Amino acid sequence: MASLLIKGGRVIDPATKTDAVMDLLIVDGRIAERRVPEKGRGAAPDGRVIDATGHWVCPGLVDMHVHLREPGQEHKESIESGTRAAAAGGFTSVACMPNTDPWNDGLSVTEYIVAEARRKGMVNVFPIGCVSKGGLGVELAEIGDMVRSGAVAVSDDGRPVGNSHLLRMALEYTKIFGIPLIDHCEDANLSASGVMNEGFVSTVLGLKGIPGASEEVAVATDLAVAAMTGGRLHVAHISTRGSLEKVRRARQEGVAVTCEATPHHLVLTDQSVADSRYDPNTKMNPPLRSEEDRQALLQGLLDGTIDAIASDHAPHHADEKLVEYDEAPFGIIGLETTVPLIVDRCVRKGGLAPARFVELLSRNPARILGIKKGTLAVGADADVTIIDPELERMVDVSQFKSKSRNSPFHGWTLRGWPVATVVGGRVVHELQPVASR
Amino acid sequence: MIEGGRLQTAGRKAAAGGARRPAPARRPAATAAVPAPDETVAPANEPARPLVALKHKHLLGMDGLTADEITLILDTARSFVEVSTRSIKKVPTLRGRTIVNFFMEPSTRTRSSFEIAEKRLSADTLNFSPFQSSVVKGESLLDTARNLEAMAPDMIVIRHKASGAPHFLARHCRSNIVNAGDGWHEHPTQALLDAFTIRERKGRLKGLRVAIIGDLMHSRVLRSNIFLLKTVGADVVVCGPPTLTPVELPRLGVGVTYRIDEAVEGADVIMMLRIQRERQQGGAFPSTREYYNLFGLTAERARRARPDVIIMHPGPMNRGVEIDSAVADGPYSVILEQVTNGVAVRMAVLYLLAGGTLGELAD
Repeated sequence: MASLLIKGGRVIDPATKTDAVMDLLIVDGRIAERRVPEKGRGAAPDGRVIDATGHWVCPGLVDMHVHLREPGQEHKESIESGTRAAAAGGFTSVACMPNTDPWNDGLSVTEYIVAEARRKGMVNVFPIGCVSKGGLGVELAEIGDMVRSGAVAVSDDGRPVGNSHLLRMALEYTKIFGIPLIDHCEDANLSASGVMNEGFVSTVLGLKGIPGASEEVAVATDLAVAAMTGGRLHVAHISTRGSLEKVRRARQEGVAVTCEATPHHLVLTDQSVADSRYDPNTKMNPPLRSEEDRQALLQGLLDGTIDAIASDHAPHHADEKLVEYDEAPFGIIGLETTVPLIVDRCVRKGGLAPARFVELLSRNPARILGIKKGTLAVGADADVTIIDPELERMVDVSQFKSKSRNSPFHGWTLRGWPVATVVGGRVVHELQPVASR
Repeated sequence: MIEGGRLQTAGRKAAAGGARRPAPARRPAATAAVPAPDETVAPANEPARPLVALKHKHLLGMDGLTADEITLILDTARSFVEVSTRSIKKVPTLRGRTIVNFFMEPSTRTRSSFEIAEKRLSADTLNFSPFQSSVVKGESLLDTARNLEAMAPDMIVIRHKASGAPHFLARHCRSNIVNAGDGWHEHPTQALLDAFTIRERKGRLKGLRVAIIGDLMHSRVLRSNIFLLKTVGADVVVCGPPTLTPVELPRLGVGVTYRIDEAVEGADVIMMLRIQRERQQGGAFPSTREYYNLFGLTAERARRARPDVIIMHPGPMNRGVEIDSAVADGPYSVILEQVTNGVAVRMAVLYLLAGGTLGELAD
């Protein structure tokens, strides 16, 4: 009987309304027992012990928006390297977007991802299938096949489901499976060839802007179609105040909508493009927005409008980013910086309660995806993330497990890092060896 | 923005040194020389000494340049004007230096102007453009730049369609980088030659009313001119169709109007910007005919300006679109003077970036 005892940590598990110092006993990959710690009580029968004194013991974190790039773009990332990065960043589960090569638009790619993750993955991998064949936005992909093979949601990822009729079909069709449709909300005509947020900074820098309205008109369209169909809509990486207000209002009206925000939209603004002098690691889509938008997102975290935090981990090879700003691909990596950024900037300095942090990064994304994760209840899968809220470290991309290095946070000093990641009772990452026999 | 160093104030000796020609005998340091202690710390009770050197490595834009720095460049350019009037139009100032003109966008005026400026400073020049290079074979900008650098040039003058491309090179290259126009962002030597031309004609920049009219959205000339003119205290009003006017422009301290008559009213300077025909396909205006009717500068409209108004255009002009030929070729036009002055201004920029001082040039 394999066991692991996590001793003396602050167990934060909103699913069971728990926030107390407890010992957590894991046996055979499941939470076996939660108990008030007793001094001098020995280790589990034959197991390892992690001393979590002073640390947060959270249900394993779930990143519902990552790009693992496999199959097809293994020079950027692979299922193995991406899940290694996830483990290092404190995530025990990731949901991977379908814009691989070929796109994950059917049974064979979904099965490949699931099988490869089983062979080489360090954490749980939940594929997200395409809405449309080839992600082309023309006709529905074989969603049933993908769900049967393990897909937990559908999305055409970087491509918005721009055709409202197809969106309607998808939001209706997915009701068979009870899975959400995750949409990248963007009006292609308004965005055109924009590369950063449209505003004062883009005006000064002479870069083509992507207006906030580009996201907002798409959100408005999606919400109207979601209201009409009753399908489950999840708005990916929401980035403007206006979008957030539309989601807030729709939810009050009973629309089945959820949304996520990324750490970079919560921490950075378009001023970073100027401050970094056109560093392509400040280029992502949606772009870094204004301070007003950022403040609205922080408010959305606190008031519950934002359901989840997701990294939108988007690895790109160094050569691909080492080009002119206009030419660089959108996206930055985030698996290994999300936890310290959110703990430091939002929990420590932003008034976000630790229990809410766990909701945003574990319980809610698990619920949105309908996966049996996000809790430390007795009997649940033993996916655990241990965070030291006091640990201060510098972000060093050269130490990342990801294959890619495209992060604007290199050199930042942050407080609050994951120190151990446990998946199915197995310690898959330790910052320093924390477990002893 | 000029970057890479701090300002150096004048040493008295340097300022008084009566070199007749812009021909410093010693090789100016490519990197910032360490100034003597008495040159860096001015006693508090002494008036500020005029600036005579730019202690900067690159000229990437006008954003962030001080009024003193602008004045220095313009004063230095003044010293170079005379060179171009000689029968032997050459000084040995940059002898032994290699300058690469790295032009990734079509350019006639700017490239020729830099090349002539470089040659009149006795630099060795290399012109490099994508049509004759490995760029067409898919080489990245960085690789191209690194290969150029492997041949040890001293300066790279870059024109590129991507905003920020000069900043990118400045991060990764050893050479001095001079921005000769990047995307919609900046065209600093154009703004400097415009300012030089205005100052020659008006005797000052401060307090002048300057109207800039045309495609404001896509104009690097506009941005550099706004940064420069606001820094030296001119009043700037800009005018163009709302479809080509960034809404945030007023935050740069300029007036915005969609009516050309309002913009021209009482102007000391009218600066016309080129309409790029491809913008029409972007739907920014229905036809060049309608554009001309609404925003074209005609002699009649120009009469609303001050009687001594000067009319400028960075070129290339679209006659009959943004400007009527009668105006472009008329008595108020200084468009060809701008081109002439461009050479002296670019000589000044190259000279100062190479570490030259105004003092060495002073008569």
